[in-house]
Amino acid sequence: MSSLKLTKYNIGRAFIYLILLFFAFLYLAPLYVMFTTSLKDIEEIRSGNLMALPIDPTFYAWKKAWSSACTGSECNGLAPYFWNSVRIVVPAVIISTIVGAFNGYVLAKWKFKGSEFLFGALLFGCFIPFQVILLPMAKLLGMLGLANTVTGLVLVHVIYGVAFTTLFFRNYYVGIPTELVRAAKLDGAGFFAIFRHVFIPLSAPIFVVTIIWQFTQIWNDFLFGVVYSGSGTQPITVALNNLVNTSVGGKEYNVDMAAAIIAALPTLAVYVIAGKYFVRGLTAGAVKG
Amino acid sequence: MGSISLNNINKSFGSTEVLKNINLDIADGEFLILIGPSGCGKSTLMNLIAGLEDLNSGEIIIDGLNVSDESPKDRDIAMVFQSYALYPTMNVARNICFGLEMNKVSKSEQESILKRVSGLLQIDHLLDRKPGQLSGGQRQRVAMGRALARSPKVFLFDEPLSNLDAKLRVEMRTEIKKLHKRIGTTMVYVTHDQIEAMTLADRIAVLKDGELQQIGTPYEIYNDPVSHFVADFMGSPGMNFIECIVKDENLIIESGGKKYEISIPCKDALNKSNLDVVLLGIRPEMLTEVQPSAVGNKFIQKVKFDVEVIEPMGADTVAIGQWNETEVMVRLSPESGNSAGNGFDLQVDTSKAILFDPSSGLRLR
Repeated sequence: MSSLKLTKYNIGRAFIYLILLFFAFLYLAPLYVMFTTSLKDIEEIRSGNLMALPIDPTFYAWKKAWSSACTGSECNGLAPYFWNSVRIVVPAVIISTIVGAFNGYVLAKWKFKGSEFLFGALLFGCFIPFQVILLPMAKLLGMLGLANTVTGLVLVHVIYGVAFTTLFFRNYYVGIPTELVRAAKLDGAGFFAIFRHVFIPLSAPIFVVTIIWQFTQIWNDFLFGVVYSGSGTQPITVALNNLVNTSVGGKEYNVDMAAAIIAALPTLAVYVIAGKYFVRGLTAGAVKG
Repeated sequence: MGSISLNNINKSFGSTEVLKNINLDIADGEFLILIGPSGCGKSTLMNLIAGLEDLNSGEIIIDGLNVSDESPKDRDIAMVFQSYALYPTMNVARNICFGLEMNKVSKSEQESILKRVSGLLQIDHLLDRKPGQLSGGQRQRVAMGRALARSPKVFLFDEPLSNLDAKLRVEMRTEIKKLHKRIGTTMVYVTHDQIEAMTLADRIAVLKDGELQQIGTPYEIYNDPVSHFVADFMGSPGMNFIECIVKDENLIIESGGKKYEISIPCKDALNKSNLDVVLLGIRPEMLTEVQPSAVGNKFIQKVKFDVEVIEPMGADTVAIGQWNETEVMVRLSPESGNSAGNGFDLQVDTSKAILFDPSSGLRLR
């Protein structure tokens, strides 16, 4: 007997699912509109329904957004800026993660006089709004001769990111028993050997968390990108803004949509590939045996 | 080989004095137990010997060398931790060999040491496993294997058995004792379990509030404690302490409305102390049913005992009653058939009874 009875329980359930479906639709609708619009041609967009499926799907808009759309006076599409972003994000993520791991290791397991204060001061860095450091940072980059360079942007993101990465690693390492450090000390391992042989192998989940976090933050950054980049070193977020604001003739919504999706794809990809580790890493402390 | 001298050791954390002027000599090959209630400083003392904490003053001499300022790895010491502290990402073999690897021992030598140690501890079949796949007892063995691998001068054990269940604890206790017999290396062992202390130790050092109370063989600590604290700490069920009024070199015990004069062996100490009231310390096994064979000895006497509670323990039965308005535990034969509410004459053997000053807790000698 598996007939569905309309009990009070089932009605309540149905109501909950209905609400969930409604909100899921609400959240997914913009993505749906973006994706379908990017596959339509401009005539169809003007005449058709916003929610309708494309009649004759075309990748014209994607090609144009990638390689020939105008971003200001240049018309090379997003491609060069995509690679700019990659050149900024990859070193910035790697450096800030390594520095954060090391900071976290020291602050969690090699406490020294004032280390708690130092950690508190570093935490403060997480709460400093971007706008506050714009001018002093511009001055610093100028003094270092790094204004308008990719290296300069990497430096800015590393400095800004270290507060977060340190916090992540420090809190993760605090959960690793100090007796492990003591045992390794007695086994003859020094500061670096303990880090390498005992802590790094335990750190996979927190590395994933930190990398996803940093990747997303830096890839999506607009403000630092627009302020500290030169015309040839702009990241993709800035280029996307320029692309959308440059109109030659009519507005090409399909190209704008395709460009926006291209700009968002890498962070989506990172989350899809490493997402399950992300969730696992965030809850690692709770389930460690 | 591995003698240890601790000279005038002081240690404080902030304004809290954790260890106060500790002096202790441990002979080569000795099994020394550090025991005391939690917070007495015993683990700190062990960490000082290992070099995991810094001394405030005093010196630590291992094998004739002053190692007070040496780092842990230069002291030639191995330690077994309460939580085992096995490296979770390494398999058992690498856990055991990690210390050798760090000390640049050749691969082939590592192999032969691994073989010897794993054979000794019967963990050959576990070498490829990670610590997470081992049971508590197996982890314990691996932790000991890691300590054994480096053949150190001294082994330190920090409450190594307290995470095991009762049966396994007894088994591992015996194994540690056998191990000590076999390899003969100096061992310092921290515990708060007085049975572990009694069974394992060559000598026991009792600590309280950072001060060394007494050092001696298990027999001395049990039968000849220097203070109320030491006497109370050792033994299970614990020693009875009864406040008694002194009358003509005898002690008065009141039971069931009747007063008994009890004769005791340590009369000189009693006279010397000039106290009117003393604390009588007497172990439960000296309070038994009347045994006809023992009657006639001048320290054997009879006192009425009203049983309030019976606690059968298998081999013995502990009965609890009251003398001088103090709870008293006595040890009866399980065959006696006594139950709560019974009253009978109890045989009191004071030949091993000891006296304490009720205010200071110190032994009267």
